[in-house]
Amino acid sequence: MTKTHTPFVDTLQSSLQKNLQTLKKLLPSEDILTYEFQTQDKVDCALVYADGMVNKELLGALVARPISALELKQKTKNEGGRVATSEKLVKTTARFPELKTVENIDDALAEILDGNTLLIVDGIKTGFIAGAKLLPVRAVIEPPTDIAVKGPREGFIEDVKTNMALVRKRLKTPDLRFETLRVGKRSDTAVAICWLEGTSNPKIKEQVAQKIQSMNIDNVPDSSYIAAMLAPRKHSVFRCVGNTEKPDIFAAKIAEGRVGILVDGSPIALTVPFLLTEDFQSSEDYFISPFMATIFRFMRFFALFVAILLPAFYVSAQLFKMQILPLGLMLTIASSVRELPLSPSLEMFVVLLLLEILKEASIRMPKYVGMSLSVVGALVLGETAVSAGFLSTPAIIIVALSGICLYTVPDFVETGSILRWIYLIVAGGLGPFGIVLLSAFLLYYLISSDSFGTPILAPFSPLIRHDLRDTVIKEGIERLAERPLVIGSPNRTRFTAQKKQGEEEND
Amino acid sequence: MTDKTFLSAPENDGILGRQICFFAAFVLPVYKLLELPSVLSRFVGGDILLPALLQYILQTGVLLAILFAASRSEKPLFERLEEKFGKWTIALYILYAIYFLFTAVLPLLDIEKFVYAAFYDTAPTLFSFAFFFFFSAFVGTRGIKAIGRFSDLSLLLFVVPFAALIVMSLVEADASNLLPIFERRFEHTVSAITYTTPHFSDAVLLLPLIGNLRYKKGDATKIACGYGLGAVLSMVFLGVFYSLYSTIAPREHYAFAKIAQYFPALTVIGRIDLLFVYMLSIVLFFYAATPLHYAVDLTARCLGTKRRVWFAAGLNIAAFIFVFFCNKYYDALYAFFGNYLYPVFWAFAIVLPLLLLFLKNKKKELNNA
Repeated sequence: MTKTHTPFVDTLQSSLQKNLQTLKKLLPSEDILTYEFQTQDKVDCALVYADGMVNKELLGALVARPISALELKQKTKNEGGRVATSEKLVKTTARFPELKTVENIDDALAEILDGNTLLIVDGIKTGFIAGAKLLPVRAVIEPPTDIAVKGPREGFIEDVKTNMALVRKRLKTPDLRFETLRVGKRSDTAVAICWLEGTSNPKIKEQVAQKIQSMNIDNVPDSSYIAAMLAPRKHSVFRCVGNTEKPDIFAAKIAEGRVGILVDGSPIALTVPFLLTEDFQSSEDYFISPFMATIFRFMRFFALFVAILLPAFYVSAQLFKMQILPLGLMLTIASSVRELPLSPSLEMFVVLLLLEILKEASIRMPKYVGMSLSVVGALVLGETAVSAGFLSTPAIIIVALSGICLYTVPDFVETGSILRWIYLIVAGGLGPFGIVLLSAFLLYYLISSDSFGTPILAPFSPLIRHDLRDTVIKEGIERLAERPLVIGSPNRTRFTAQKKQGEEEND
Repeated sequence: MTDKTFLSAPENDGILGRQICFFAAFVLPVYKLLELPSVLSRFVGGDILLPALLQYILQTGVLLAILFAASRSEKPLFERLEEKFGKWTIALYILYAIYFLFTAVLPLLDIEKFVYAAFYDTAPTLFSFAFFFFFSAFVGTRGIKAIGRFSDLSLLLFVVPFAALIVMSLVEADASNLLPIFERRFEHTVSAITYTTPHFSDAVLLLPLIGNLRYKKGDATKIACGYGLGAVLSMVFLGVFYSLYSTIAPREHYAFAKIAQYFPALTVIGRIDLLFVYMLSIVLFFYAATPLHYAVDLTARCLGTKRRVWFAAGLNIAAFIFVFFCNKYYDALYAFFGNYLYPVFWAFAIVLPLLLLFLKNKKKELNNA
């Protein structure tokens, strides 16, 4: 655990006032409140908590009220007069389901800051932690980035406990394990590693835990910080850690043998190891016919190639290799670009830049001005730029098509967008040779990239025939009875495939 | 026994039998689809398949010798060589590093010309091809494992465009152009064989891969079959190419870029065949970078270092300078290699690998294998 303050090794004392003084000194902030009350026979007690983070009603009903009605001295005396007896009495009187004890001030501080409540009683050296945490959380809704027409619609939220429950709801097995680590010197963020015992590769789980524990960071506002720290190649444009906002996808990946990471404060869960083909899979693929899923996957691959390469090929065809285009199309393009003041590469650069700006603005702007921006973007900028002779119609069509195609693989938008720029620059300078050479370079880069010991281009390279069943081609559920080999799960069998009628009879 | 610290391969740098099989089947033939069809048809016309067949028989013999040596132990061949010859293996590695640099010359010159012809309608700048060496240097920095993985990918990158180009070219091909067989005198075939030795001496390109292979039962069959498949694909291509171009074949350079250009639908849909040519070019670039990679690998092995970046950069800069200054003398260099330097290829690609047949094993090892 990493914390900003020096670990406070002192234990709680039996004097309530001394304990309160120490706590006030260590937590001087105004939102740390102390509620003092007395038992029936005038023993001083206090609840210490962070304002706005606890369920006060519950605390009053289950802790303060029962204890204030308690005759602590009298009952302790009746049962032998030992301090241990007082402790037991407090514990049994506070009818709180989530109650634990602390003796160390440092632990008590961590619990208070985490939203729990510390109960201290005069004369008892032990503090009681009531898990009355009530953090402001939003409802479990469908994530906007991962919408499914068919299939579950729940999405993760920012609260790690809720997210853990959403996973547990789907994997009701004692093998589902969570290990919570604290990361961030100042944020002290809870990071839960999630795995299925006996199914996930234990080496990967260990590696993940080790890497997370060794992180020296101030604040972890989102899981992307953890993903960046886990990535073996820090400056790569390709992701090495998978992410999802949907518990059904997360649970499916865990059940496949992957290791998951949930970060408090982030609705995006991480999974490792990551394969590039995961970006092309959608949760819906598993809820529709395998034929349709295969067609969709082919479409996604094709669309992505179009999105990344079309602007580059258009520029290189105009500048270096006109033969690529059929004669009729070439003449049409030639007539549209004849009087343009910009070179083909510069023109494409400008149109692509406009698209990126429009995209960026439409994400950030308030919804009610979105419509006007669409009008300004599409009509004013597009139409008038063409009629004024600044830009050509083919360039706008190509960039629009490329923009639409890129969104068929939402998880690849960031990488695809960067690659599109790189390809465009290379195509402007070197033509089709540059495009082919860059493709060769990227392929070679990808084949030599691993995510936690798993090649990210698997099962294509290295070729694993067994795992090809759920890549570009999506086979029927009965053919996916075994887990992918590339994940390295110790338990290969996902389910026992049902025998065909004829086979049963033979048996 | 030698101390293992200075020569042994890096950890986890393994390659699989299947990957070598794919390398032999789908990477090695790609260079033969470039300039070889035009060169062979210049010497033997319609008998284009005969010298190719004889060369392949010879190369298969060499490959079988290497595979025989590799199959006699579970230990990688290079490890056994190091145990057998001790520090003398360094000399062997250095000689082969130089040889691989030497074998890279013709492919690099050919590919440079091919790039300028197939990728540009306009005149490219002199330095355009220089960017290839960035790729080649990058390939050089990666281990043998990456070569294996790329070989897996070459199944897709080679088979799809190859099949598409052949299908497109079959429409206009006329197999009767290959008849009558044995039309030319045998001396022409012999000249074709000696002249095209640099193109065909490719079984030795499998040696560094097999040398790192931890042999498993059945690997030899897989690799030999892969090489056989590569030979069949090359010969199919040569046959289709000559069927299409016949007597003008010697003037049709960069064969795979031209083989499908008369496909009738291309006038309507544009030069879609170029997309397949470009796809195949990825494998071609990889092929050209491989000997340089071997040279880097062997040098790094000799020096016992894993930091290959500087070797890769240095060798590729040297190769770039060579190509940049020698492309003017392309024809002369080609003739020099074909007419005078073929004994070098025979020595390193045939004679020395055949000597592996005499590499004996310890009794214990033989029993284990």
